[in-house]
Amino acid sequence: MKIYKQFFADIKRYKSYMICAAKAELKTEVADSYLNWIWWVLEPFCLMLVYTFIFGIIFAKSEAYYPLFIFIGLTLWNFFSANVKKSANMVRRYKAIVSRVYLPKVILLLVNMMTTGFKMCVSLAIVLVMMLVFRVPLSYHIIFVIPGMLILLLFTFGFMCVEMHCGVYLDDLTKINDIVLRLLFYLTGIIFNIDQRIGKNYPALATILGKWNPVAFLLSAVRNSLIYNQSPDWLWMFIWLVISLLLCMAGLQIVYRNENNYVKGI
Amino acid sequence: MAEETKKSEGMIIEEDTSKQSAETNTEAREERVRYIPAPGTYEPAITLNNVSISYTTMQKTSIKQMFRRKNRPKKEAFEAVRGATFEIPKGQIVGITGKNGSGKSTLLRAVAGIFSANEGTIDLHGNTVSLLAIGVGFQKSLTGRENILLSGMLLGFSEEKIRKEMPRIIKFSELGDFIDKPVRTYSSGMYSKLAFSITAVLETDIMLIDEVLSVGDRHFKKKSYKRMKKMIQNRKHTVMIVSHSDATLRSLCDTVIWMNDGDIKMIGDADEVLDAYEAFMEGED
Repeated sequence: MKIYKQFFADIKRYKSYMICAAKAELKTEVADSYLNWIWWVLEPFCLMLVYTFIFGIIFAKSEAYYPLFIFIGLTLWNFFSANVKKSANMVRRYKAIVSRVYLPKVILLLVNMMTTGFKMCVSLAIVLVMMLVFRVPLSYHIIFVIPGMLILLLFTFGFMCVEMHCGVYLDDLTKINDIVLRLLFYLTGIIFNIDQRIGKNYPALATILGKWNPVAFLLSAVRNSLIYNQSPDWLWMFIWLVISLLLCMAGLQIVYRNENNYVKGI
Repeated sequence: MAEETKKSEGMIIEEDTSKQSAETNTEAREERVRYIPAPGTYEPAITLNNVSISYTTMQKTSIKQMFRRKNRPKKEAFEAVRGATFEIPKGQIVGITGKNGSGKSTLLRAVAGIFSANEGTIDLHGNTVSLLAIGVGFQKSLTGRENILLSGMLLGFSEEKIRKEMPRIIKFSELGDFIDKPVRTYSSGMYSKLAFSITAVLETDIMLIDEVLSVGDRHFKKKSYKRMKKMIQNRKHTVMIVSHSDATLRSLCDTVIWMNDGDIKMIGDADEVLDAYEAFMEGED
């Protein structure tokens, strides 16, 4: 209990630091480029065109509203994978700071989530514009995006805590992450619909891929509510909410109990 | 050639300190009464109780090593600091000396809260603390100005206060237009100038100084030494200095802690401890 209290106290205490750090980080990412902040919009948009071209036109594997389908997938996936990748060597990357001054290590994670979260929000704004362009019929289902995104945030944060902790002691983790995330990219149903492509022939496999993988499940929940006017599977939503919360709690325990030793480890 | 410049630079430092001590020697003789209050008559700023710090538990491993049962890295305890117990009164200036690797910097970092002690307790009695070490941590891709803001916030200052002091920090650092350029474009001298200026202007209750009393070129060295000395001696701050310079410690410190292989070998009046330390080191040679 003490640790969770500490966590919320730290968020309050370092709130202005986090905002400044996230802003500065976002700024420097584009500071030297000519197009500057336009990249935040341009980059995901171009990627969407690439995937739509390759899978939609060359392989002619089209789902309804395919560009939107891919774009939503990429938006959520990029948020998750960018956060996971960075947390593995988070402490090492900020060694210069954490070896000079005490900083709760979860703050590093939160700053990272704020920058990736900002980019995700830009992408989501593009999604809304695209929905108007494609004349997607809107319904009250759009509200269900919120619980889906919330659970994704919780799951990502919990996962990041564990990644950061292991990353301090296990150098190989960044390499492992690269490989596993690449595999997951194709298994998460970002460029195809798991239920339709796999579910027809292998329903059991589709359940495993689509429900047991939280990112895949949440992704399809968000997609369904945004463009297909469907409610999410509430039972699975609840299951992943509970798992995400437990993961966050465990992650916070691990990080807060060990964080003062991290500097010795790097 | 390079060596020559280095040598001459070294001479400058010595010259500076000797000059300073020569200047102050006459008045200092009577003026420099060391602040060593009797136990129980002062307000403590730092209290260490049986503090031990070891680097054992945190051995880095690879997958290969995890599966190799036999050749697993041995978990031998390396105790950097053993059973350190002392109390520092508010406003006292304490030097820490000892051989390389005797645990001085580790102790300083533990006081700064960067390491946790494996055993024992460290109590700062609610004082704010900052550690000034060579090459204070900056994010290289951010500008000097942004780094000032972030470092200041990490030291516990409000954004408002930092923005107010910003012009002073920039002026002191003498960086000019470079302040709005990414820190990665700085020379190492500029880097330490910026680091020094932040700590010099944004003062915390407890200041921990690791080997840097003067940084930068000759002119800045003089300026920073003077500033440091002024700040240290105004008795508003509690200061711990790790240094190998005998002259610095003698001229600045009230008491000195002598560390040897993780143990506190001696603690007390600066001159007494430093005399004993010198005699010990000569014996080692």
